[in-house]
Amino acid sequence: MPGTFFERSAAMRVFGISASLVLSASTSLLAQAPMVDITPPAGTIAITGGKVLTVSHGVIENGVVLLEGGKIAAVGTAASVKVPKGATVVDAKGMTVYPGLIDSETRLGLSEIASDRMTNDTVEPSEEIFPQMHVYDAFHAESEHIPITRFNGITNAIVAPSSSDTIPGQDSFIQLAGRDRDSMLMVKDVALAMNFGEEPKRNGRGEGGAAGGASRYPSTRMGEISQMKQALIDAQEYMARRGGTAGAGESGATAAAGGRAGGGAASSTLLRNEALIPYLKGEKPVVLGVYDGHDVETAMAFAQEFHLKVILSHVTRAQDVLDKIASYHVPVIVGPIFDLPTANERYDAVYSIPGELAKRGVKVILASYNVSNSRNLPYEAGFAVAYGLPYDEAMKAITLNAAEAFGMGDKLGSLDVGKIANVVIADGDPLDVRTSVKQVYINGVAIPMETRQTKLRDEYWPKK
Amino acid sequence: MSPSVPRLASASAIAGLLLLCAGGAMIATAQSSTAPADLIIKDATVMTASHGTIQHGSVWLHNGKIAGVGATVSAPPGATVIDATGKYVTPGIIDPHSHSALGDDVNEATSPVTPSMMMIDAFDNRDKALYQALAGGVTSELLLHGSANMIGGQAVVIKNKFGLSKEEMLFPNAPQSIKFASGENPKRVYGTRNQLPSTRMGNFEVMRQSFEDAKVYRREWDAYNDKVAKGDKDARPPHRDLKLEALADILRGKLLVQIHCYRADEFLTEEAIAKEYGFKIRAFHHALEMYKVGGKIAADGTGIATFTDWYGGKYEMWDGIPWNAVMSMREGVRVALKSDSNDHIRRLNQEAGKMVHYGGATEDEAITMVTLNPAWIMGIDDKTGSLDVGKDGDVVIWNMDPLSTYARAEKVYIDGDLFFDSSLPGFGTTHFSGVMHGSGFGAGEDDDDDIEGGN
Repeated sequence: MPGTFFERSAAMRVFGISASLVLSASTSLLAQAPMVDITPPAGTIAITGGKVLTVSHGVIENGVVLLEGGKIAAVGTAASVKVPKGATVVDAKGMTVYPGLIDSETRLGLSEIASDRMTNDTVEPSEEIFPQMHVYDAFHAESEHIPITRFNGITNAIVAPSSSDTIPGQDSFIQLAGRDRDSMLMVKDVALAMNFGEEPKRNGRGEGGAAGGASRYPSTRMGEISQMKQALIDAQEYMARRGGTAGAGESGATAAAGGRAGGGAASSTLLRNEALIPYLKGEKPVVLGVYDGHDVETAMAFAQEFHLKVILSHVTRAQDVLDKIASYHVPVIVGPIFDLPTANERYDAVYSIPGELAKRGVKVILASYNVSNSRNLPYEAGFAVAYGLPYDEAMKAITLNAAEAFGMGDKLGSLDVGKIANVVIADGDPLDVRTSVKQVYINGVAIPMETRQTKLRDEYWPKK
Repeated sequence: MSPSVPRLASASAIAGLLLLCAGGAMIATAQSSTAPADLIIKDATVMTASHGTIQHGSVWLHNGKIAGVGATVSAPPGATVIDATGKYVTPGIIDPHSHSALGDDVNEATSPVTPSMMMIDAFDNRDKALYQALAGGVTSELLLHGSANMIGGQAVVIKNKFGLSKEEMLFPNAPQSIKFASGENPKRVYGTRNQLPSTRMGNFEVMRQSFEDAKVYRREWDAYNDKVAKGDKDARPPHRDLKLEALADILRGKLLVQIHCYRADEFLTEEAIAKEYGFKIRAFHHALEMYKVGGKIAADGTGIATFTDWYGGKYEMWDGIPWNAVMSMREGVRVALKSDSNDHIRRLNQEAGKMVHYGGATEDEAITMVTLNPAWIMGIDDKTGSLDVGKDGDVVIWNMDPLSTYARAEKVYIDGDLFFDSSLPGFGTTHFSGVMHGSGFGAGEDDDDDIEGGN
């Protein structure tokens, strides 16, 4: 197989550790995705000689990164950082070293084989307002897509329900390695997913469509907004009745709102309303998915009315309101950047949005919104660079900006002392399609660079 | 005349030409008139796709054809010269698997055998997907029937001269291809209706019976034609059946057979059936498991048109690995990359770049996968697909190495005429004006379950 990077003796010791992890983790279940114990190893790993992209404070040529106890212990030039005695030295000469990438919206763990319904738990279509759905209840930690994704240097992801409901549920922030689901869940409910526009319409088409193609509520944008407003009002009233305390027993007041939202036993905790409380209080962000310019304005007016803390998402057909978007001062996940321009738009109308937003001071984030294509996240950032996004901003769009938007900026997203040791070593520019990732560290652990796909590759690799 | 499929296309092309002549001034829009007689692109890195890369090389186009390629070309005085210092030049990108510009008419999913469907009848030359592909450096496409049917329709080969008439966009004298499918899509489409086929056994039974019927039909027509040739004035022609006629043309080797197929076992079955009935398979499309049996299939002379790294959408894609293309190439299979998507068609050059990463293709090998090899699959490699003297002037100038993520197509020439120039305002097109049409399907996703029956 290709690659000779780890054939140096010092580095081999690291490789040896990871190889033994594979054996202990998979034992007889070789067909399973390798679940990796990410308990940090004892001692220090010193990655030396590489070009270090810190993301937060520039590029260090011939840099040193020390990993200790699952954290980044030092970052600096060879002259300024002393490699401790006994450290496992990984020679990264000629390599690029950068923080693990973060994919800000994926269905990883929710969908294994798209065509097989039994392996898909991406959204609950029976109703639209489902804030009490938690993707972690469906998250399948053993998904084969996860090792395949981290193989290309993605170490963290936001798992979100798909977008055919106005409020389909809450997202989880995951680490792409761990012995089990719980060790991979960094934040169980990190954000609330909300969607507005064509996709949530119950017009008889698409995932949420009623059987037989019949329409039901909401089948228009008016219906969507009205429905979301009602849900938030119901939750506000619920919160007021409980003195603003989530989880406290209902005081006996009769629910004001009709229907399911206000109903239920007077003293019971209504999960739907409970789930909305942290978002109404502005404690956590909502990811507001919207594509078209006029829809952005409608959705933001709604969000502002309820003082929601917004991360805008998609905006791939919102070229006409970029100044307006900048005026909201919210982070924006753009994409997928490979969305097609509409008829009579210039060919680069979508490719250029990240650059145009960054020019206007927006914190741009990029995401795959996918499962099997999550591994191509770095190339999406590369495309944004080709069409005007400054390189440093493109790196931030898949690292630090993502971490900060989801409240993880102190833990992830850059090579800074004290952050979680999610580090990638690659043989070139991380955003170039020709570059190969050579080693991924998660929580300071050298992750086996092995996937279901590498096993097939190695089994069938041409002999001659 | 034998009952082979008449080129309806060429007949209407002639009609179109007559109309243009009648229109007088209209002829000015024909492509040849705006191309300079001599164009020289000089001092570029020239990736020829057939004979390596030339540093500081030049390409000379004369009357729409390539007249010179090399470190120097004999520049005729008065030639238009484009200084391409620091830039890269390649043959036009060729996509051997597209469903662009066919609206919602990709699958005639009402019978598993529909070989007389002619995709040209659905071709919409104003579809925005053609423009977006052109802006990605694509100069030719094979527009295929979908994969709902074991034996689908006959493809149309186009030159991406966006803005010209439908007739002018047809690739002149390109061989006719026919689309077959196999595996999950046909069995799903007909199985969910409780019709034959609903299994892989059913799939191949349908196919074999079709060829049995075609054998009889062919025999009857051959006997008739023999009688006519011998001067038998009483010979009566058999009934002409478009479906059987097309099937008979497969047996006669008149059509290039392009088969949608994922699994290794199905490649072997398809090759066995082809041998049994005496035809050749030009290429397997998708072909995600070719790395398992590449040596055997290479011996049959069949190529592949594959995805780079798409996998997992269905069970038959579960063993797809991104090393497939390079591993198959090393086993001797002729490998092309293809889009099957209105999105990926815009960036096949970067898809080729991934082959450097996944398996260690050289840059020259990677470029060949999106130029010369797809041209071979479509049977047009004698006319386009590489920078060689005598071939069509289908050329792209890139701002940098086209295999880089950051590469952008700057100028796209087809038959020596400029059709796209990214430095121009608006669309960057040179022949297009008016209104583009939205694409009927495939908008953004390369998911072959997005549309009824698959693509």
